[in-house]
Amino acid sequence: MKAKRSSKHNLIETHDLTKVYSMGETEVRALQGVDIRVEKGEFIALMGPSGSGKSTLMHLLGCLDTPTEGRYVLEGQDVSTLSNDERARVRNRHIGFVFQTFNLLSRLSALENVALPLLYRREAEGALQRASEALSRVGLEERTTHRPAEMSGGERQRVAIARALVVDPALILADEPTGNLDSTTGTTIMHLLRSLNEEGRTVVLVTHDAQVADFAHRTLLMCDGRMV
Amino acid sequence: MSFLNTLRTALRGISMNKLRAALTALGIIIGVASVITTLALGNGARKAVEEKFRHLGSDEIQISGKQTIEDGGLVPFGEILSYEDGLLMPGEVELIDRTELSVQGEGKVRHGPHVLDMTIIGLTADALLGAAEQGQVQPVGWPEGEALHVEAFIDHGRAFTTEEVLGQADVCVLGYQTAEDLFEGDESVGEVIRVNRERCLVIGVIAELETVDPKQRSRSRVNEALYMPISTAIKNLYDEEPSVALVAHVEDESRMAEAKAQVAAYLRQRHNIEKDSEGEYEDDFSLSTKKDILGAQQEAAQTFSFLLVALAIVSLSVGGIGIMNVMLVSVTERTREIGVRMAVGARQRDIVAQFMLETTLLSAASGLLGIAVGILIIPLAAILNQGTPVLDPFSIPISFIVALLTGTIFGLYPAIRAAGFNPVRALRYE
Repeated sequence: MKAKRSSKHNLIETHDLTKVYSMGETEVRALQGVDIRVEKGEFIALMGPSGSGKSTLMHLLGCLDTPTEGRYVLEGQDVSTLSNDERARVRNRHIGFVFQTFNLLSRLSALENVALPLLYRREAEGALQRASEALSRVGLEERTTHRPAEMSGGERQRVAIARALVVDPALILADEPTGNLDSTTGTTIMHLLRSLNEEGRTVVLVTHDAQVADFAHRTLLMCDGRMV
Repeated sequence: MSFLNTLRTALRGISMNKLRAALTALGIIIGVASVITTLALGNGARKAVEEKFRHLGSDEIQISGKQTIEDGGLVPFGEILSYEDGLLMPGEVELIDRTELSVQGEGKVRHGPHVLDMTIIGLTADALLGAAEQGQVQPVGWPEGEALHVEAFIDHGRAFTTEEVLGQADVCVLGYQTAEDLFEGDESVGEVIRVNRERCLVIGVIAELETVDPKQRSRSRVNEALYMPISTAIKNLYDEEPSVALVAHVEDESRMAEAKAQVAAYLRQRHNIEKDSEGEYEDDFSLSTKKDILGAQQEAAQTFSFLLVALAIVSLSVGGIGIMNVMLVSVTERTREIGVRMAVGARQRDIVAQFMLETTLLSAASGLLGIAVGILIIPLAAILNQGTPVLDPFSIPISFIVALLTGTIFGLYPAIRAAGFNPVRALRYE
């Protein structure tokens, strides 16, 4: 992999990032040339009305999808042209996801869910130990053997955060993490995310809730696939 | 992902829906079980044919009269195969060096107050001891592995000679038990008994025999027998001349085909068989050599294996399509799980491995179960078939491997489909 060096402090740099979906005859231009910079250790909120392209941008930043045009540089490495397997590796090593619907595997215990990303690495030794440390970090050391169905929404989201943390990621991407939670639990989750940021982790948060966005250092607004 | 973890994931995937897994497995189980059973039936049939013709030497032509059904009974077709046909054959047919003739009939045997209704066998002189050479019986307590010789079969007295056969001599040789039954331990050689009222001199007693195969000993009655010259038997037991069983020995084994043609020509001439309008002979006899029988048997076996392969392909394809169907449903149901796994770093090959291992485990388990079911069904098939199926040891690994391959082949497409999911869409799947 050829690594194009960029500014040392920028964790994320995008250049003219464009994503076009073709839906039969019509083309949907979900992203139309987005340039953003996120420095290491920042806490960014990405806001915008639905259909503004914030979820698409999130997927590109998370290496879940590839841009139609433009470049995405993560930690100084151009990841916009990587193969499927290489992107899987980047997700596994450098990115932790927190989803609105938690996306835990219902058949696995909390501990196994958290350990899952480590199992997709060559060195899976100590995975359960590290998973249990991550669960302690989010305050769930007592709930390791419980399955998602036996936990509250807030607990499930904390398991999901532990799963994001366990790989020691450069970037945590949280997509509407409080969307399925009541406001009190939501606030607890946001405090948790902020404390992780205070420990030095870069967090990018997608939300349409201004109160949630207030936890971030900086808010980026999107509309019609562009930054405003 | 390590193999062990993939294995655990796959096992969890199967146990998630046990009923569905069991139903999926059923197709393969039935397929494998039927392969095991049919192979055992074929194997049993082959062994039976081999056993039946084991005694037939490679220098021998077995000649038998054709039969046809008339008024619900078997009657000879055309002319019977007569004693004379056999007797004159060595002199008339260049390549035939000697013949063995035999007939079997029911008769009443009497000595003093003792009367026995039994099967009486009429033979030529060499055929009497030829029967001993077939290797199915041996004198009681004969040491295993020691070569048998003709003398060992005579307890005392002697066998009849060719002269006695030609001269219709009224002599006979008794089986061990028959001698006991008639004489109760007294000396029998030199005594006269009555066979269908005709006088007959006992000239010898056969040694006490047992079948070589210990399993058949309890039901065999090898010691209840009365042998007499075939000419005498025909005279005493039949109102009209019977068809004989005939074995012709060929001098030179390399000229079997030629010898067969000569025998056929000889019998056609004696039976006045001419070419019919289509230039074919409508023979009233049939000739078979060991090579013919084994060849026909091999041909039958080959046809049978083609049928079997077809059967296996059909049933395992059905099983395989079942697997594919279930796995496609399973993959669709688990789209979101696949998305999550991809999001946390599963590569495409990890997803393929997970689903492939699931189908492989399922088909391996079905294969093993199918083998067990097949082995259990074999005795049942024996009842229906009235034969003795013999489990073919090769059928076990072969059917297991085929089951495994079926699972792998039909599981490949669903697994590849799962791995081809776009993570974004998979994560959003409801």
